[in-house]
Amino acid sequence: MLLALLLCYAGFTALCLATDRHHGELLRSKPTPARRLGLRALGWLLLTLSIWPAVAVTGWGQGLVEWCAVLMLSALLLVLLLPYRPRLALILAGVGVLASPVAAFGLF
Amino acid sequence: MKEGFRQAMAWLHTWAGLIFGWLLFAIFLTGTLAYFKDEITHWMQPEVQAHPVDDARSLAVAQNYLQQHAPTAARWFITLPTPRDPGLSVMWQDKVDPGKRGNFIQKVLDPVTGQAVQARESMGGEFFYRFHFQLQMPYPWGRWLSTLAAMVMFVALITGIITHKKIFKDFFTFRPRKGQRSWLDGHNAVGVLVLPFHLMITYSSLVIFMSMVMPAPIVASYGNDSRAFFNEVFPSSDNAPALGQPGTLLPLWPLYQQAQQQWAGGHVGRLAVNNPSDVNASVNVFRAGSDSVVHDFGSTVSFNGTTGELLRVSGEPSLPSLIGGSFYGLHMGHFAGPVLRWLYFICGLAGTAMIGTGLVIWLGKRQLKHAKTGVMPFELRLVEVLNIASMSGLMIAIATFFWANRLLPVSMAERSDWEVQSFFIAWGLSLVHAALRRGRQGWVEQLSLGALLFVAIPLINALTTPYHLGTSLMSRDWAMAGFDLTCLAGGLFLGWAAWKMQRCAALQPKAERARALAFKQEAG
Repeated sequence: MLLALLLCYAGFTALCLATDRHHGELLRSKPTPARRLGLRALGWLLLTLSIWPAVAVTGWGQGLVEWCAVLMLSALLLVLLLPYRPRLALILAGVGVLASPVAAFGLF
Repeated sequence: MKEGFRQAMAWLHTWAGLIFGWLLFAIFLTGTLAYFKDEITHWMQPEVQAHPVDDARSLAVAQNYLQQHAPTAARWFITLPTPRDPGLSVMWQDKVDPGKRGNFIQKVLDPVTGQAVQARESMGGEFFYRFHFQLQMPYPWGRWLSTLAAMVMFVALITGIITHKKIFKDFFTFRPRKGQRSWLDGHNAVGVLVLPFHLMITYSSLVIFMSMVMPAPIVASYGNDSRAFFNEVFPSSDNAPALGQPGTLLPLWPLYQQAQQQWAGGHVGRLAVNNPSDVNASVNVFRAGSDSVVHDFGSTVSFNGTTGELLRVSGEPSLPSLIGGSFYGLHMGHFAGPVLRWLYFICGLAGTAMIGTGLVIWLGKRQLKHAKTGVMPFELRLVEVLNIASMSGLMIAIATFFWANRLLPVSMAERSDWEVQSFFIAWGLSLVHAALRRGRQGWVEQLSLGALLFVAIPLINALTTPYHLGTSLMSRDWAMAGFDLTCLAGGLFLGWAAWKMQRCAALQPKAERARALAFKQEAG
C-alpha cells in the first residue's frame, strides 16, 4: 500500500502544480502552457500507475479498495498540508518519487 | 433554466442537510466508531485477555467446556478468537422451538485456561454498532429512520455535487483562518476528496436495507410470503434431526482442517454443532467474514458429527448475491486489515466532518444578518442549540459512556444498561446546557469538557484497571493501547477546537463583520 500511496501523493501534487493558482502559491511563478500540460500528464500517469502496486499485492478485489482509500487519503493529506506547510507538501512529493523505486524493490 | 435548476438543487441541499444533519452526524460518528467495534469491546471488557491466536487449542478448549457444561444441549455455537476479538465465545441452546428465538446461554472462555471469564457486563463496541442503524429505538422504527436518513444523505450528496460549481477548479483549495470562507472550503474539500467513500457508504446502506426500501420486487415474486424470499437468499443448513440414540462426538479440529481445505486456505469463523450427544450429530463450519471483500452470506461445510462424513459444501453464490455481498462487505469493512481499517476510520471521520461543517455553515450564513443587533430569532437559536448538543454534546456522551464503563461497580445490577443510560443522560444534559448558555460560550464549555473527559480516559483506565498504557504497550496489546492513545488524540483535538473557538470569540467583532460582508457578496 506504501508504493501506491507515494505514487498517488506525487500524482496529486503534479496535478495541483498544473493549476495557475497553486503553481503561483507554491513556486511563485506562472507555469508555461507546455509545463502545465507536462505536469498534468505526469499527474494522471502517476495516478494510473499507482493502481498497479495496489492490485499486484492483494489482487483486484482488495487491491482496488485499498487503492481508492489511498487515493482519497493522499489527496486529503495534500490539501491539508498546502495552506499550513506548503514546502513540506512539495518535499514530501519529491521524497515520494525518490523513494518509490525503493518501495517497488521491496514489493518483489 | 440551468441556474434555476442549480438553485433548486442548492435549496434541497440546504434544507435536507439541515433537517437530517444532526441525526446524520450521530449516525456517521457512531458508525465510524463501529469500525473498531471489537477493539472497543476489548477495552471495555479488559478481563478477557488477549493471547496469540491458536485455533487448535481454542477449539479443544471449547469442545471440552461444552461437553462438561452442556452435554445435552440441542445446539452449540463456537466463535473462535481473532487478533481483534480475543474472547473465545461459546453459546448453547437447550431446546430448539421452531419459529421462536430460544434462550441461549453464552460464555466467554479464556482460550488458554479453559475457564469461563467473569467479564464485566458491557455492550462494548456493539452499542455504537447498534445505535448506528437502530438509533436506540424499538424495532423496526430505528431502522426505518436510519434508512430514511441514508436516503436523505444520498440526496444531499447528489445535490451537493450539482450545487458545487467549481468542483475541479477548487479541487486542491483550502484557505484556513478566513471565517465562513474556510468553513465552506473545508466542507467542499472533505466532501469532494472523500466523495467515493461517501457515495459508497450511503448507497451501500440502502442496499443493505433494500428489503425495507424497495420491497416491491420481493412482493411481486413472492407475494406476502417474504419469509420465502429470505429462505431462498440465506439457505439455512438443513441438518438431520436427532435420532434419540446417544452418540460420541468426534474431535472438532480435524473437521475444521477439512473445511479449511475446501476453501483453499480460507479462515474459519465459527462452528455450530447440532445435537452434540446424538448419533445423528452434525457439525457446520462457517467461513470467517474477514476472508474477502465480498461479504459471504454463509459459506458452510457440513459434517456428520459421529462419523466425520462430509455432508455438504455450500455452492458458489449467485451473481445478485455477489453484488449485494460486495456492497455489504464494502460498507462493513470486515475484510480490512489494521492499515485499511484506519483508513476506513479516517474516511468516516471525514464524512462526519463534512456533515458538521455543513451545519455550521447553514447557521453562520444566516447569523450574519443578525450580527449587528446581537439578537437572534428563535429558529436560528434553535438550530444553534441543536448544533452544539448534536456535535460537542455527542462527544461528551461518548466519553461518558467510556467513563461509566470504568467507574460503575462491576457487580452492579443491569450494569450494561446503565452504561447506555449514562450515555443518554450526558447527551440530554448537554442539550440543557446548550439551551442555557450563549452560543460561543456553549461551544467552548462543551468542547473543553469533552477534551477533558477524553484526555483523562487513559488516566482513569490506569487507575481502575491493571491494563494501563505501560503494560498494554509492553505486552503488545495494540487494541488496548490504541484505544487509550486514540482517546488522548481525540481529547487533544477537542481541546484545540475549544481553544480556536475561544480565540475567535475574542477576535470576532470587527474583523469578522468585514469579512462576512465580503463573503456575502462572493457567495451571493
